[in-house]
Amino acid sequence: MFVRKSLHSLTGKLIITIGTLMVVGSTIFWYFLFRHQEGELIKNSVKYGYSFVDYVKKSTRYGMLTFQQLLIQQTIEAIGSAEGVLHVRIFDSKGKIAYSSNKKDIGLVFDKRSPICISCHSPTGAPPKDTQTVSISRDANNFRVLNIVQPIYNEVACYTSACHVHPREQRVLGLVEASLSLAPLDNSIKHQGIAITVYVLVFLFVISVVLCTILWNLVSTPVSMLTRGMEKVAGGDLDYHLDINTKDEIGELAHAFNAMTSDLKKAKNELVEWGNTLEKKVQEKTEAIHRAQAQLIHSEKLASLGRMAAGVAHEINSPLTGIVTFGHLLLKKFPAGTEEYEDIQVIIEQANRCSTIIKGLLGFARASAAEKAPTNINDVINHSLNIVRNKADFFNIKLVTNFDESLAKVRADSSQLQQVFLNMIMNAADAVEGKGTITITTKNIRDNSGDFVEIEFRDTGPGIDDENLAKIFEPFFTTKPVGKGTGLGLAVSHGIIQEHGGTVFVKTKLGEGTSFFIKLPALKEGP
Amino acid sequence: MNKKKVLVIDDEDIVRISCSRTLAPVGFEVRLARNGVEGLKILEEGPFDLVLTDLKMPDMDGIEVLRRIKEGWPAVEVIIITGYQTVDTAVKSIKLGAFDYIEKPFTPDALITAVSKALDRKNA
Repeated sequence: MFVRKSLHSLTGKLIITIGTLMVVGSTIFWYFLFRHQEGELIKNSVKYGYSFVDYVKKSTRYGMLTFQQLLIQQTIEAIGSAEGVLHVRIFDSKGKIAYSSNKKDIGLVFDKRSPICISCHSPTGAPPKDTQTVSISRDANNFRVLNIVQPIYNEVACYTSACHVHPREQRVLGLVEASLSLAPLDNSIKHQGIAITVYVLVFLFVISVVLCTILWNLVSTPVSMLTRGMEKVAGGDLDYHLDINTKDEIGELAHAFNAMTSDLKKAKNELVEWGNTLEKKVQEKTEAIHRAQAQLIHSEKLASLGRMAAGVAHEINSPLTGIVTFGHLLLKKFPAGTEEYEDIQVIIEQANRCSTIIKGLLGFARASAAEKAPTNINDVINHSLNIVRNKADFFNIKLVTNFDESLAKVRADSSQLQQVFLNMIMNAADAVEGKGTITITTKNIRDNSGDFVEIEFRDTGPGIDDENLAKIFEPFFTTKPVGKGTGLGLAVSHGIIQEHGGTVFVKTKLGEGTSFFIKLPALKEGP
Repeated sequence: MNKKKVLVIDDEDIVRISCSRTLAPVGFEVRLARNGVEGLKILEEGPFDLVLTDLKMPDMDGIEVLRRIKEGWPAVEVIIITGYQTVDTAVKSIKLGAFDYIEKPFTPDALITAVSKALDRKNA
């Protein structure tokens, strides 16, 4: 299992590939080197073989010329007894062995077709080659044997010698044949082959070890580190950092891996963040929808209240007319100062109060009948202030204005806005109880839904507690003494501002004061 | 001196009675009508100096009554009785020839003042 896995690993494959290439390469190299050396050795052996045959010819020359057969035989025997010389034979022109290092051979005749002759004498009967020939055969011990045959050419000294054995016309007088053992050469080649094989094997082993070590350090270890890192990251550990700082491709890969991991971590964090903010956003939106719904219900409530008020008002005004008229008629029947006179006056006053309440109620119904035109808010506030400034209630109140001179205009019904602003100022005056500061600030603001004009009415009153704050825009809610407020001012103001596409909101702090904000959409500048 | 004749057209009893009880003691001859049709019929019976008419009535509204009076009896002054809700319409009615409008609930003094003013102009 482990071996199989190792074979399939990158290092295993590399080692097998490189090893195979090296073994094949070395074998080819080794083979050709061996063959070349062998060839060189044999070439030299042949050269020495020729020299040897030459030497045999020259040693026997004197014997030949003087025809001393015994001397020739003795010389041949002496030469043939040397180490590595298998035999030396001299043939005459008829193919008969005239002299031989082995005496037994003398007198043997070789046919032209015998193996030793066919290298020169072709079996077809063509004239023989008269050059020396070389052949290599194997002996009984499978050692190579070098056979050299050299013709003995006729020359002047031969056919002029006293013996007159050879006629002048004869070209080749005989042959010298020598068989030399190449056993030492074969042994040397064998030993060399073994040595080279051992060297190659050692070389292969060393190279393999070095390669394995290098591959292990450069590839296998970092790759397994990378694999481990991948597994860690896949398992969700995005803090894992690879400690490979090499400048090679693996180092780049590790660097890319680390970058990827940190990117992944960042992306994951962003996702988580997103998830959280999404939740928050959904919550915000839900709240906004709830608020809008509440506002809608509130508006619908006010609208139906307005419709109802209109109907009621119409019905009630007539009976009130009766009460007021008959009250006055009755009043004339009693002298001023009597108890009856005072009582009737109360009836008339209360009837008038009913009428005021109804007028307030009808403000809802009237809010929709606005005549809108581009309006400068600062001017409207100034008009409102002029109305209240001289009233006794405002003698001890400091009125401060912070107007933005570049305030954008709004599309509005100025008389309705004046009603709203007056209501705000009156409320503020009531809050400071006749003594304090009312600050009115106007400014341009911009938020994601567009450009607006914001008006702030800030008083230095006692502030509004949470319980009352929730109800201030409800019709008929008032904290003023009975008879002083109808509880309709803010509700009507709210209705008017809403009808102008604006909003009213309040910020208050107990003991420090209250700010009412009115936000109206700014009129876009004409083209 | 002849008593000035005033016709009050209103579908509400209490308003009609309030007007007659206010105006009769101060020297006006007051006739009452429950609706526009009845009011126009009474107008044909004799010359009237002034008509007080409610704006919102079943069958024929005050504006229509005003239009008919101004067609048939241009010399007769008209004062519109209105609730707060229909003040805008009342203001419009002045453009159609009404002398003034009076807002319910009105005091006897306010009614007398409005009627006297209208008749003063007529005599002037």
